[in-house]
Amino acid sequence: MCGCQSERGVGMKCASSRHLLELHLDGELSASESAEIEEHIENCALCDALYRRLEQLQSDIRKQITRHTAPAKLQRTIQVALRKAAASESQPPRVRWNWMAVAASLLLFASLALNIASLRSRDSAARDILAQEVLSSHLRSLMGTHLLDVPSSDQHTVKPWFNGKLSFSPDVKDFSSQGFRLVGGRVEYIGNRPVAALIYQRRQHFINLFTWPSSSPSQSGYSELKRSGYNIMSWTEDGMTCWAVSDLQTGELEQFAQLYK
Amino acid sequence: MAGTLVDDHPMTASMDEKTRLAVFEQTIVPHLSAAYNLAAWLTRNKDDAEDVVQEAYLRAFRFFGGFHGGDGKAWLLAIVRNTCQTWLRREKGNRSVVMFDEQTHSPELAKTNPEGMLLKKFDVVSLRECLEGLPVDYREVVILRELEEMSYQEIADVVKIPIGTVMSRLSRARQRLAECVAARVNGGLV
Repeated sequence: MCGCQSERGVGMKCASSRHLLELHLDGELSASESAEIEEHIENCALCDALYRRLEQLQSDIRKQITRHTAPAKLQRTIQVALRKAAASESQPPRVRWNWMAVAASLLLFASLALNIASLRSRDSAARDILAQEVLSSHLRSLMGTHLLDVPSSDQHTVKPWFNGKLSFSPDVKDFSSQGFRLVGGRVEYIGNRPVAALIYQRRQHFINLFTWPSSSPSQSGYSELKRSGYNIMSWTEDGMTCWAVSDLQTGELEQFAQLYK
Repeated sequence: MAGTLVDDHPMTASMDEKTRLAVFEQTIVPHLSAAYNLAAWLTRNKDDAEDVVQEAYLRAFRFFGGFHGGDGKAWLLAIVRNTCQTWLRREKGNRSVVMFDEQTHSPELAKTNPEGMLLKKFDVVSLRECLEGLPVDYREVVILRELEEMSYQEIADVVKIPIGTVMSRLSRARQRLAECVAARVNGGLV
């Protein structure tokens, strides 16, 4: 690499390897490049000393320089301001700011109370996390980056597509005649396992239905949740756990769940 | 749906305000602590950092149509950084910047007061002061690399400079920090 130990031009040559040492320190080198520079450090006292100093400085910064923590009220202030901004864009007749603030803090308080109440049992805490994952996955899919792996309204195309991608075969049905059109499927990772996601459309609304083999006994009814304005339903039937999420009204989502069951 | 958004992404464009807000709250709001940390280090003033972050979030929401998925943190921090730059430019023309605490972060001042420096726990205090005293271009790459643990590529995306420039700025910043700390440890005799 750099002949640092030679008498002349020591500074120059090591100065050029300084960049390499820093790239190595910052994890920007490939495995083979890293191995090469590590071998060099072992054989070059100058680079070894320089690298130790760089490492020391990095660890000093990370240990001694504390992050500035945002005051607790800042998140609330921002959420209120965002809701106000969203409301003023969607409703031309302006709502008075104070009302928005009051409404937003009430909402926040209510969701806080809900969260605290739901934390009471570990079961519901686990459900809570699952609901969050389901909702995040739904929202991500609507961002347009990854809604469908297999776009098809034909259940005989979608079902076999999952073969070899999952260790189970999900139930795939199209309900076009009832107003819930199957638009396709994709594989998702939820609750630490790969699951099937089926996407249905009703008018301009999408439903993500996640399903995987259940580890708990069948449960006769549905569980319903509301998060950030989305309805989430879950049930267990024939050894399969299902979660459906959409911005559809509760009634319509229930109708869908009935059909799928 | 407002028609004023720049560079609207088809998916976010077709969302109603409620959905847009919900997606924004899921993807962008969770990076508040990183946003505040960067703003506080760049403005060196807690009140201003709050104002900057709030303004940055409203801007981010307005331009959310330009967010095409991917890393929400880098996208948000780029906006926070821009908002800070505007603030710093405005600030230069107005008043002198109020610092975090009474302790100075200028290496020159420390040199004139070596006795005072001896009484401090120089290792912790001086590193912090040296970092605060770095020019903002150097300070920001150190914060993004060491406190936010971002890769060169992510830093390049936030600061909008080539990767090579990230590398050289970071390297220069580290040299300056090391020199500054050494100068203080030796009571300004180096």
